[in-house]
Amino acid sequence: MTAKAPVRSAPAPRRTTPAPRRRRSTRRGPLHPATWAPTTVLVLVLGLIWSAIATEHPYILPELSEVGLALVDRPEVFLTNAWTTLSIALAGVACGAGTAFVLALVMSEVPVVRRALMPLAVVLNVTPVVALAPGLVLAFGFGMTPKVVVTAIITFFPVLINVTTGLRAVPPSVLHVFETLHASRAEVLWRARILYGLPYTFAALRVVMPLSIVGAVVAEFVAAGSTGGLGTMIRNAASTARLESVYAAIACLAAMGVLMLALVTAVERRVLFWHESQRRAST
Amino acid sequence: MTHPSTDLTDGIRVRGLTKTYAGGDPHRPALESIDLDIGRRRFVSLIGPSGCGKSTLLRVIAGLEDHDAGEVSLFGSTPRALCSAKAIGLVPQAPALLPWRNVRRNITLPRSVNRRAGTGGEDPDDLLRAVGLGDVAHRYPHQLSGGQQQRVAIARAFGMRPELLLMDEPFSALDEFTREALRLQLLVLWQRRATTVVFVTHSVREAVTLSDEVVVMSARPGRVHEVLPIDLPRPRDASVVTGPRMHALEDRVRASLQSAWEAGAAPDDLVPL
Repeated sequence: MTAKAPVRSAPAPRRTTPAPRRRRSTRRGPLHPATWAPTTVLVLVLGLIWSAIATEHPYILPELSEVGLALVDRPEVFLTNAWTTLSIALAGVACGAGTAFVLALVMSEVPVVRRALMPLAVVLNVTPVVALAPGLVLAFGFGMTPKVVVTAIITFFPVLINVTTGLRAVPPSVLHVFETLHASRAEVLWRARILYGLPYTFAALRVVMPLSIVGAVVAEFVAAGSTGGLGTMIRNAASTARLESVYAAIACLAAMGVLMLALVTAVERRVLFWHESQRRAST
Repeated sequence: MTHPSTDLTDGIRVRGLTKTYAGGDPHRPALESIDLDIGRRRFVSLIGPSGCGKSTLLRVIAGLEDHDAGEVSLFGSTPRALCSAKAIGLVPQAPALLPWRNVRRNITLPRSVNRRAGTGGEDPDDLLRAVGLGDVAHRYPHQLSGGQQQRVAIARAFGMRPELLLMDEPFSALDEFTREALRLQLLVLWQRRATTVVFVTHSVREAVTLSDEVVVMSARPGRVHEVLPIDLPRPRDASVVTGPRMHALEDRVRASLQSAWEAGAAPDDLVPL
């Protein structure tokens, strides 16, 4: 085939035809079947498999209808326990992520602190927090404190690492402009570093918010004698073989995780309207 | 337009400037014994092959990098002192706009930092109109074209009424047509505000169109090869820029660049140092 000649003579009409874009860039709304149908079909199939197993072996999985009934029968029980777990998770995130954020700021400004803390933070990260939990319960008693501490430790490291990276993500040319203006370190930190670090901070929060629920539930499992929370509820229900309550509580936890993620994403979309990651959503 | 001749206390004076990067070959400094005089309110371009140290020289003048030997005097003062008075405007290669600030707030950024050095400067709205961006004042950088972004960066640098404007290949990422338009716009801005400009470029045409003097540099080590005066009349409108004198000067700069390149690009063992 003589490929060269037609390509050379045809640049003008080529530019006017939008044909190659059409297929890929079609964006469908959330109501379009192509958006929701695949997941729906998959959920239905999984539901059928679940039902089949539940009918055969009621000690492996409860009937879905029973799970639903458990939720509908005593919604206030699930709501109060969910609130207990949620407040532990949120308090843990506030403490853990907050401390990590402040430490990351200090570490970015004072290299000695960075050199001193980073190895310890890494060790803390590789230590299984589940293993720490019993000791923390002994130390802090059976109230909320040990659970918040466990959650805080779990959420600490991802935030520390991401914010530390983010604070260094300022383009050199921007730093040069600040430098020729003789901006102080505090001004560079406040007007450039923290804001350039925000996308990294939000990425950490998206990881850490659901993780905080994991922390809270694990802490409730371990803290013998704790009276509230979905983790306690799961442990107690499992010990008396009330599978439908176990799975109802798990469904609540999943819903909480989804809500937290949705919240972070919504805030992120508003705050980071200027960032590449949000561009498609905003224009 | 008459320029005061090079009075040594009233301009940029570089003497014996030598700089070696940490870890670099000490026998091959990035800059070696640079002597350069730039008069106040002159527009001077630095041009040369890659690695000739033109951007390094600009950063040393801006006080962004230290040097090993020699002295740099800016209007009888040091780069650092000039920075702390917010008297240096920098236009880097990338526009370096803050993406979360709209155009107008990017232009007023210099007044909101280092407030001790003053919060005055040109009215941002006048400035925006002068660069033809009055109608995008409330847009954000990601909503602008590359040429518009660079105009914002230029307006930001002019906004503080700096004594010295340093521009590091500001148009190199733009297409030829946009570059041409921005050069003329820069000249209009500069002629009204009459500040000293040091402009780093790769483009011979750009250097000749804009400058009063073109400093041709050679590489390995970075040295001043030749300083060529550009005696084209101002304002440099279309008739000047397309005239025969312009082409002769361009050829002159090109020839100088060629000899600078030959001086700096020859293999190691052939260069008697």
